[in-house]
Amino acid sequence: MELIQAILALYRERGGWFLGLLWDHFLLSGQAILLSGSIGLLLGIFIAQRPRLAPAVMGVCNVLYTIPAISLLGILIPFTGIGNKTAVIALTIYGVMPMVRNTYVGLTTLDPDILEAAAGMGSTAMQTLLRVKLPMAAGVILAGVRNMVVMTVSVAGIASFVGAGGLGVSIYRGITIYDPAMTAAGSILIASLAVLLDFLLGRVEKHFKKYGS
Amino acid sequence: MAEPVIQFDRVCKSFDGHPVLRDFSLSVERGEFLTVIGRSGCGKTTALRLVNGLISADTGWVLVKGQDVAQADPVALRRGIGYTIQNVGLFPHMTVEKNIAYVPSLSKSPLWKGEERSRRAAELLQTVGLEPDLAGRYPRELSGGQRQRVGIARALAAQPDILLMDEPFGAVDEITRRQLQDEILRLHQERGITILFVTHDIEEALKLGTRVLVMEEGRATQFGPPSALLSSPATPFAAQLVRRSRDFAPRQ
Ligand SMILES: Nc1ncnc2c1ncn2[C@@H]1O[C@H](COP(=O)(O)OP(=O)(O)O)[C@@H](O)[C@H]1O
Ligand SMILES: [Mg+2]
Repeated sequence: MELIQAILALYRERGGWFLGLLWDHFLLSGQAILLSGSIGLLLGIFIAQRPRLAPAVMGVCNVLYTIPAISLLGILIPFTGIGNKTAVIALTIYGVMPMVRNTYVGLTTLDPDILEAAAGMGSTAMQTLLRVKLPMAAGVILAGVRNMVVMTVSVAGIASFVGAGGLGVSIYRGITIYDPAMTAAGSILIASLAVLLDFLLGRVEKHFKKYGS
Repeated sequence: MAEPVIQFDRVCKSFDGHPVLRDFSLSVERGEFLTVIGRSGCGKTTALRLVNGLISADTGWVLVKGQDVAQADPVALRRGIGYTIQNVGLFPHMTVEKNIAYVPSLSKSPLWKGEERSRRAAELLQTVGLEPDLAGRYPRELSGGQRQRVGIARALAAQPDILLMDEPFGAVDEITRRQLQDEILRLHQERGITILFVTHDIEEALKLGTRVLVMEEGRATQFGPPSALLSSPATPFAAQLVRRSRDFAPRQ
């Protein structure tokens, strides 16, 4: 009870500061989301066209995915220094895996009859990809986007350990000055942002799933 | 004599070491309605897919309008050949209209721009016996018979002079099947297109074909007008086929 009151008091007194952090958090994760979204999508499309490479690429992505976030940040510091850049790189590396996996699975589990029809009617490989395969895989790919977005927003919470901005700043400060309300206040905002984005993307995904198969 | 539209010349095709077509030769004349009948797995679909170059012959030649399919640009070749696959294969994410307009849209045909597209799609829907107001529906909102018809409309959109149809009326009830058969007969007469029509139903093969091809284990074992198949079946399999269908009237 006391904790909740303390959190509410923090929001009241330092509302502007939290809003600033929330905005920074949004920008930081947004950059990583755009990067891993496009890299993962392209990589997923690439290995879907060349299935022989798929196990190797997915293997590498899986390994990167299992490195604990905090140690990935630590490993990157000597190369990219501290600050937002390192955080964005680490978050991007994480986000690529769910994107590659879902894009690959989405594109390789399509109804072969429909692909036969598309090819038989004289589609070029690019036309089949853009007009048939990607739209039909959109539901599965969007599930990957959703997964990746929620994960990126939440993992971005530890980015302040390498000097990046965002709500991690309040979490980190809460820990160092032993103020649990400060840590909780930041975490609640992260969770809310993640839940909101998850909900919005869920709506989009549902729309595409309807036509997916 | 006119050059055949489609010609198979001693074609052999194997999958994983199993011969599927053996020394397969065939000549299809312009405007012919050729029905192909045979047991499941005898190579009917394989023969069709050789015509539009979805697969290529191991040995021998397949010629379409005199051109070797192996040398042709597959995309250009396929856009000139209508193709309905065994399970229709409509695009689930496109409306009926977009499905029908698919081939013209691939080649960015100016005839299918804007309102023209709706008009032409509506026209084709009527051609295959459907209400034009189905244009805005998605395939999952159609019955099996309606889907088959849309598949045919889609294959006709680019006005091909060759139509490959792989068991197109397989998944519909008997009454719808009859109706579809009559539609395709009418289309054939009106448009003078060459049709290769695969079926496993002897009644259908006799009713529709100007000529019937009987296939057995990758070989063409009998090829001639339906009346000839009925009066003098060349193999025990052909005899067995026609014994069950003596009562049906063949196409004249
Ligand atoms: N792409 C393929 N890969 C391997 N085997 C195939 C392939 N296509 C067809 N076959 C085999 O070739 C044989 C003939 O197939 P198909 O031409 O589809 O027969 P039909 O259409 O007469 O039922 C079958 O045994 C089938 O399993
Ligand atoms: Mg078949």
